[in-house]
Amino acid sequence: MAETTFKTTGFYRMLLKLLPADFRGDFGAEMEQTFEEQHAEASRREGFGGLVRLWWATIVGIFATAPREHWGMFRQDAIFALRTMRKNLGFSVAAVITLGLGIGANTAIFSVVHAVLLKPLPYANGERMLVMAQQAPQEGFFNQPFSVKDLNDYRAQSRTLDALVEYHSMAFVLLGGREPQRVQTGVVSANFFEVMGVKPLHGRLFVEADDNPGAPAVLMLSYAYWQKAFGGDVTVLNRKFTMNDRVHTVVGILPPLPRFPGEDAVYMPTSACPFRSSKQTIEGRGNRMVSVYGRLRPGATMQQAEADLAVISKRLYKDYPDDYAPDYSLAIKPLREEFSRGVRTTMLVLLAAAGFVLLIACANVANLNLSRAVRRERELAVRSALGASRLRIFRQLLTESFLLALIGGSVGLLLAWNGLGLLKSIAALFTPRAAEISLDGTVLLAALGAAVLASMVSGSAPALGAHGHIAQSLKEGGSAQATAGGNRRRLRSTLVVAQVALSLLLLTGAGLMLRTLMNLQRVDAGFRSDNVLTMNIYLNFTKYNDREKRGAFWNALLEHVGKQPGVRSAGLTMLVPLASDPMDMTGNFIKEGQPIEKGQPQPVGDFRVVSEDYFKTLEIPLLRGRAFSAADRDKAPAVAVLSKAAAEHLWAGEDPVGKRFSADNGRTWTTIVGVVGDVKQLGLDREATDEMYVPLQQTPLLQASLVVKTAGDPVALAGAVIRQIYDIDPNQPAAQVRSLEQVRADSIAAPRLTTTLLGIFALVALGIAAAGISGVMILSVSQRTHEIGVRMAMGARPGEIVGMVMRQGMTLVLLGSAMGLAGAFALTRSMQKLLFHVGASDPATYLSVAGVLAAAAVMACAIPARRAAQVDPLVALRTE
Amino acid sequence: MTPPIRNDQSQGPLTTAMFHVLLALAGEDLHGYAILKEVELRTGGEVKLSTGTLYGIIKRLLDDGLIAERRGRPAANDDERRRYYRLTTKGHAVAEAEAERLQKMVELARSRRLLKRLRPAQS
Repeated sequence: MAETTFKTTGFYRMLLKLLPADFRGDFGAEMEQTFEEQHAEASRREGFGGLVRLWWATIVGIFATAPREHWGMFRQDAIFALRTMRKNLGFSVAAVITLGLGIGANTAIFSVVHAVLLKPLPYANGERMLVMAQQAPQEGFFNQPFSVKDLNDYRAQSRTLDALVEYHSMAFVLLGGREPQRVQTGVVSANFFEVMGVKPLHGRLFVEADDNPGAPAVLMLSYAYWQKAFGGDVTVLNRKFTMNDRVHTVVGILPPLPRFPGEDAVYMPTSACPFRSSKQTIEGRGNRMVSVYGRLRPGATMQQAEADLAVISKRLYKDYPDDYAPDYSLAIKPLREEFSRGVRTTMLVLLAAAGFVLLIACANVANLNLSRAVRRERELAVRSALGASRLRIFRQLLTESFLLALIGGSVGLLLAWNGLGLLKSIAALFTPRAAEISLDGTVLLAALGAAVLASMVSGSAPALGAHGHIAQSLKEGGSAQATAGGNRRRLRSTLVVAQVALSLLLLTGAGLMLRTLMNLQRVDAGFRSDNVLTMNIYLNFTKYNDREKRGAFWNALLEHVGKQPGVRSAGLTMLVPLASDPMDMTGNFIKEGQPIEKGQPQPVGDFRVVSEDYFKTLEIPLLRGRAFSAADRDKAPAVAVLSKAAAEHLWAGEDPVGKRFSADNGRTWTTIVGVVGDVKQLGLDREATDEMYVPLQQTPLLQASLVVKTAGDPVALAGAVIRQIYDIDPNQPAAQVRSLEQVRADSIAAPRLTTTLLGIFALVALGIAAAGISGVMILSVSQRTHEIGVRMAMGARPGEIVGMVMRQGMTLVLLGSAMGLAGAFALTRSMQKLLFHVGASDPATYLSVAGVLAAAAVMACAIPARRAAQVDPLVALRTE
Repeated sequence: MTPPIRNDQSQGPLTTAMFHVLLALAGEDLHGYAILKEVELRTGGEVKLSTGTLYGIIKRLLDDGLIAERRGRPAANDDERRRYYRLTTKGHAVAEAEAERLQKMVELARSRRLLKRLRPAQS
């Protein structure tokens, strides 16, 4: 019986644990006693059934009471906390701003990390999708598109992929709206969206029949284009437009998707694209123009797919040795990687930096709390004497810091929300998923998490420190306060050291990024970007369907634009330097008189097509021979100009001018007539490639970019230049009108964003840390007023007092700096990938950031030091 | 005992269960278990309070000053975990006001012919 009672009480006691500790303290024993009597009576009068009913009622009762009591307790604490906060308005505002900055920084960065790295791809089958590329490293091919024949062979033979889809993008002119519009068009296999797992927002997806040769041409609109061009009007479904001289019917509208594979306004199946459906494209194994994505069969692994595809690529080389290189293979990677390419390190570094800012903010609020604890000591002691348990006081203090963090978090959310637009627009320059960045539920939850964490970190140290000596402080008065003060001073100093260390770490990161950005901006790109206007022109394929017509258009354009007042010179190029998404135009060739031995790789060059005045317009220096001239027209002997790198690598040790090469196995020969300077075509941080320029007149392209050197602001002339295009062909739009300066600036958007954000974080951190140092020193001076008074009475000069305070403050700063430098040395390694021409442990950077920190610290210590020197010994000695 | 942070606002209106506890204490000063028994007895077993509910009520009534702990205990050999509660003057007034309010409600109900005969107030 005694054992049963013991067990019963034990279980009941466990139930009571659900109630707040205070409630338990007040009524626990009594409740146990009452329950024992209930239990005894139920067992006596009603037996087992009665006991079951009693337990059931009791459990339900406790479960109903517990949340009410907890909530009541929190409400009380919160009301009290708010009152305390109002009484200490200065402290509260400082804490809210500090935490707001920390939480805001974290929320903003996390929203990007969440959208770009963490969220599943917005395609139902996204995790199974692979990006495929053909490569032949020895020949210099790394990311070659596929020909239709390549694709069909892989599609037919692969056993690990259950679907392969293709994509390429072209600009076509869409007629039938208010005015002719050049629309970027994604040309896809009919099953493209179905394989990715996309459902149409309105209408239907493409179906197999749409891909049949001669099928009626159909279009799907991207969500963004539908909104922009048709204001989200659903009646656009089934409307007919003319493209490439054919009637196209809109059959579907896509939901919002990442700008992937490209930024396309509309989509069409392969049968509707005049290039893709041409006999030449379908039958030429070497006509490689489409990107291919594969979907893993459920259960298949990457390794299996790699092995499977390797077998097929070997077989292809064996069957068609003329069309594939000996080391030809297929490279595959998950689609997810393609999406976060290049931003992963940036984002993680920024997230870490934001985390450090929050830690510094927490340390600061903890320090504010500690300084306040001195004044609150008596209040806490009195409450403790009135019967508040340690837990109760701890809980009260935590509630206070939680509320502070919550208000700070709201301020932070406001900051993040304000900065989101800017962050999105910059992120759009280097990730297709920028549109997905938002403050959604997960991000809000993360912000709340940050606030809770912040309240724990900033509130628990002082709270834990508080209860230890409350009782003592009442009992012993002054002496206990002195020891407690000592402990607290040490804790405060530790926090300041940590703040300094973390600030230095952030400053170092920001410093390294600043050096990187400066190095990038200072890179000699090989051309002048000032006062140059660029725009892309895609000719209408059906209208300009032969070389003569295209050549005539480009000549007329250059002539018209050249006459425009304010234009110094104008040129055309296949590829604007530093513009994103460079076209791959590598090709191999043979040199005259140097036959290739069997098994030896052919030399490879990067072919570029430019007009006569391109070099002059971009001020690319001519190093040897001559540039192109008007005489290098169609039917004239083929000529080429090499870049310096091409001359040095491909014609090492000889003068290439006058030499001949053939890109078509000796059928036609091209003479090298000159050498020009290297141009950073693919990125300021990339090496110049071996470029081989050929004249536009001899290779009249369908698409080219106009570059115009202007006397004044290039963008101001854009309207006039576009009018010149309309004069020649009113149906011919221009796109991507930008200054070359803008192109250059956009090419380093990612490092610029990193630098800006790290810089902001570092400055915020430095400001908070400086305020922290200042605060701690001011408190220390006010606590040592008596001592300072004694020193001055004994003859210490103000200068010595200043020195003493400065020494005390700077000792902390030095300690923190040493730790910060060590931390920076260890941690900045992880950002090596983001750096350009500066080492992660660059001494100059370390020295200068330490200098910046020291200057800030000296200023922070100067205020308390001056205050100390102004102490009046008489007053100080009187006040105890 | 009571937390030093006083809650000076009442936590809302009197619930039926709270009223039952006040009624139980209106007769004599009782300890927790006796309150349970008294309520159960007076309602003919229809209202059975669990310990959780009872002490939630007791806490609220104490906080609002409607009941108080009685000093001293009736017998020396009483279980020392027991505490006895008494109705305060304020508690008495509140219980009275509530009873009057209920009576008016009942009269109103009767005038609308909703009640045929008198029945004890129930939850």
